[in-house]
Amino acid sequence: MSSHREAPEISKDPVADSTDLYAFVSPDEPDTVTLIANYVPLEGPAGGPNFYEFGDDVLYEISIDNDADGLAEIVYQFRFENHVTNPGTFLYNTGPIGSLTDPNWNRRQTFSVTRVDNNGNDPKTTVLGTELACPPCNIGPLSTPNYAELATDAIHNLPGDVRVFAGQRAEGFYVDLGSIFDLAILRPFEQAHATFGLQNTGLGMMAAGVNATKALNVHSIAIQIPKNQLTANGRDPEEVESPRSVIGVWTSAYRQKVRVHDDSGQAVWAGPYVQVSRLGNPLINEVVIPMGKKDFWNSQAPVADSQFAPFYVNPQLAQLLPVLYPGVFPHLASYNAGPPAPNRADLVAILLTGIPPGLVTGFQTFTGATQADLLRLNMAIKPATSPKNTGLLGADVAGFPNGRRVFDDVVTIELRCVAGAVLGLVNPSFTADTAAGAIHQGLTSGDTDVSALGTENYLTSFPYLGLPYSGFKVPAA
Amino acid sequence: MTVSRRTFLGRGSVTVAAAGLLSSIPGLSSLLGTAGADGPALDGAAADGAAAADASAGSLTEPLVAHVRDMSSGEISLFTGTREVLIRDPQLANRLLRATR
Repeated sequence: MSSHREAPEISKDPVADSTDLYAFVSPDEPDTVTLIANYVPLEGPAGGPNFYEFGDDVLYEISIDNDADGLAEIVYQFRFENHVTNPGTFLYNTGPIGSLTDPNWNRRQTFSVTRVDNNGNDPKTTVLGTELACPPCNIGPLSTPNYAELATDAIHNLPGDVRVFAGQRAEGFYVDLGSIFDLAILRPFEQAHATFGLQNTGLGMMAAGVNATKALNVHSIAIQIPKNQLTANGRDPEEVESPRSVIGVWTSAYRQKVRVHDDSGQAVWAGPYVQVSRLGNPLINEVVIPMGKKDFWNSQAPVADSQFAPFYVNPQLAQLLPVLYPGVFPHLASYNAGPPAPNRADLVAILLTGIPPGLVTGFQTFTGATQADLLRLNMAIKPATSPKNTGLLGADVAGFPNGRRVFDDVVTIELRCVAGAVLGLVNPSFTADTAAGAIHQGLTSGDTDVSALGTENYLTSFPYLGLPYSGFKVPAA
Repeated sequence: MTVSRRTFLGRGSVTVAAAGLLSSIPGLSSLLGTAGADGPALDGAAADGAAAADASAGSLTEPLVAHVRDMSSGEISLFTGTREVLIRDPQLANRLLRATR
């Protein structure tokens, strides 16, 4: 998945597990940027009686690098607090929840938002909001009869024309998980899979993709910020070519170092906060970083990512594709075999440094030589009027890897890139295999489909991810 | 220095926790004495790190956790609030280990 359960340690700690990160110029508020960090993977909507929530012992952050050094100049911090009205009942709610202050709602969360400006050795901390209400989970027609209204009430206006929301939303990431993690079955070419010699596998019989995250929920931290509050010079970014127009974004979660379970069944924490999860570009810790490094990767700051560069320069998946699909990727097979040894400068540019000016007309996300896994957004590029879910590969410069919108088909985009679809941009002697551009998940009707065949109910305004699925209507898988 | 959770919880270390049950302590040695009430008695005064802690004794208002990271060097991490204090006290490390046996 994008970053759901992507490493052994964090897979045991869902509330701190970042699943997806989005960053885009708000299509309906183009003077602002929307950042969304999702946590708590694969929520079954009926998962009561202890419905999903953020960790009140987790520090969540969304960080912004605006001067191309791989370090955070701006950090938005989010801290959550639980409130229990009546500990004498097992119920999440003792009647219909009609408002965010309804006494029927027995277990609720509030949160605070703090902005930290790292200006040299003198960080400036500004509390933007406290005791901000999260909405309840979407339970069903009796418990949350007017859910849309509750969710709207949980959008808070903060000083400086900032808006924020934190709570349950519909999972917007779509992925044919079952095929990809079944030894890299790519449905368009599944009949060509080597199958490890197995017979009668059924491959070739499946016509459509399967959206493994369909009808699941997630917990989103969404914040909409005027662009000029994100640039280094405090001005609106207007020049696509200007380095100052590009920001690098990542999210991270922190826990205190020590946890002790006492005899009362409670846990206490001590020590400084340490990073246990992070996310910039989708799928990196999933399919680029090897098993033995995944937990370590989650503990590292993006600025230290040059240590992982060898996994981008010669990624294992790129080596596997021609082996698993004999004859389908002949040019990639030849490139992999060398000499010279593979040097995937295309992937390094897309994922670690940004794409420099000159490679794609009217486009750049370059943030200098510092290699860091950041979701880079050129804020001077306007929202697309006719967006393509294949983003830059579909000639839509407002889409991934220029930030990431909620509907971008990042799995298809990254698989195509790994297969060499754009390797020719940095290695003119390489011609991409036809198959590289034909990879798709089978989860959209085409690259103009921004609803994943109608399975995703994205919104056209903040917070853009759809209302969460009701537990009454969608039982847990 | 980055310490992974797995490394932190790994072998070769001793961790002692007092989780808010003590209303006050005169110092680290007393804390250890209380923690050791059901185990071996502690004797002697810590040479430096613990003695310094004694001198600045105060109320324990939040958990204090000691993690002996290395017996030979006596490297001990003390966790309280959102702080980690690293001390080196081989004698104290040895006494903590003895207290667990």
